[in-house]
Amino acid sequence: MTTIGLPHFLIVGGALFALGMVTVVTRRNAVGILMGVELILNAANVNFIAFNHFVEGPGKLSGQVFAIFVIVLAAAEAAIGLAIVLAIYQTFRTIDVQETDSLRQ
Amino acid sequence: MAEIPSNLRAILVRIGVLALGLAGIVGAALLHRFAGLGLGVTLGVEYVSVTCVVWGLNGFLFRSTPLRGLLLLVFSAAAFGVLFLVAYFLAKVVGPFVVNSAGQLVGLVHLVDLIFYAFAVMTIAGAAGCAFSRNIIYSAWSLLFAFMGVAGLYVFLGADFPAVAQVLIYVGGILVLILFAIMLTKQIGGDPKLTNAHLALPVGAALAAATVATLTYMAVMAPWKLSPTRSWEPVSAGLGIAFLTDFLLPFEVASVVLLAALIGAVIIARKEIKETSDSVLQR
Repeated sequence: MTTIGLPHFLIVGGALFALGMVTVVTRRNAVGILMGVELILNAANVNFIAFNHFVEGPGKLSGQVFAIFVIVLAAAEAAIGLAIVLAIYQTFRTIDVQETDSLRQ
Repeated sequence: MAEIPSNLRAILVRIGVLALGLAGIVGAALLHRFAGLGLGVTLGVEYVSVTCVVWGLNGFLFRSTPLRGLLLLVFSAAAFGVLFLVAYFLAKVVGPFVVNSAGQLVGLVHLVDLIFYAFAVMTIAGAAGCAFSRNIIYSAWSLLFAFMGVAGLYVFLGADFPAVAQVLIYVGGILVLILFAIMLTKQIGGDPKLTNAHLALPVGAALAAATVATLTYMAVMAPWKLSPTRSWEPVSAGLGIAFLTDFLLPFEVASVVLLAALIGAVIIARKEIKETSDSVLQR
């Protein structure tokens, strides 16, 4: 038997979440902020699948189904988000989020 | 004897007080632990030492706001409080957990555990590189390690289909998209190293430490209601059945969302191409 239990995975997920939050808070590059959001979504996924494995019981898969949905929505979010970043770049000639504080040109 | 310049002497005094304070912190803690020094005396000495350290460090950090008198006392009291909380947390929560885990590990170190720790370190190191790297391109590449490490963790949890989906979608799709965006926004001009240079490291590190401490405390202390361990078997068939029975409506909605996202992204990006071609034509 392995000694790896639920807390190990939760701690990894927590560290991922914390680092993703730091990325979102400290970056000024809009693409960097999107990367932080991806890290946060990954942290949530790790927790979902860990709980599915350790808590939900044999034969039940709703945690993994949730994780798949999160991955799907992350893909959609990345596509839309990066398209918006490119549009912002075309409008403002910068993707520094501190300078793009209005929705018009 | 040569004349010592006054600023050099000031620096030496600061370093001396700093060293004295550090020695006081460590020495008082050791005396309290091993020689039975009283708790009140220990706390007093620690406070004085922390004050010394704060005053010594003030010679090198935040020199524009010199700490004197009451301000110094208040500031060092705050630093003392934070240090005390951290030490208490380390001694009462992390220490027993580490000792406990180490005790469990000493007898039986498994290869499986080592592989888990390798993946965990890979994940967290990649995420840390993403969070703290100055260059956004390095951040994107360290994101690759974080995603691959997470895929490895999924395999550990008996989730083969999510692991493969992670590699295909995150590494093959999202990461490439991010690199595309970086290259496109970098190409015409603009700084790829755009980040809060002076603020990012201390504030970010403090925020990360606080969040990790809280979440670790919760993960270790909470009484999780664990289920019996499950066997390692493929989950793809079960997932397919779940998608087409219990989760049919979310499944269909997700496909509509993907279609809408696809069309939306194309529309937003198309406007951008039209504008560039216009601006190129105008020039």
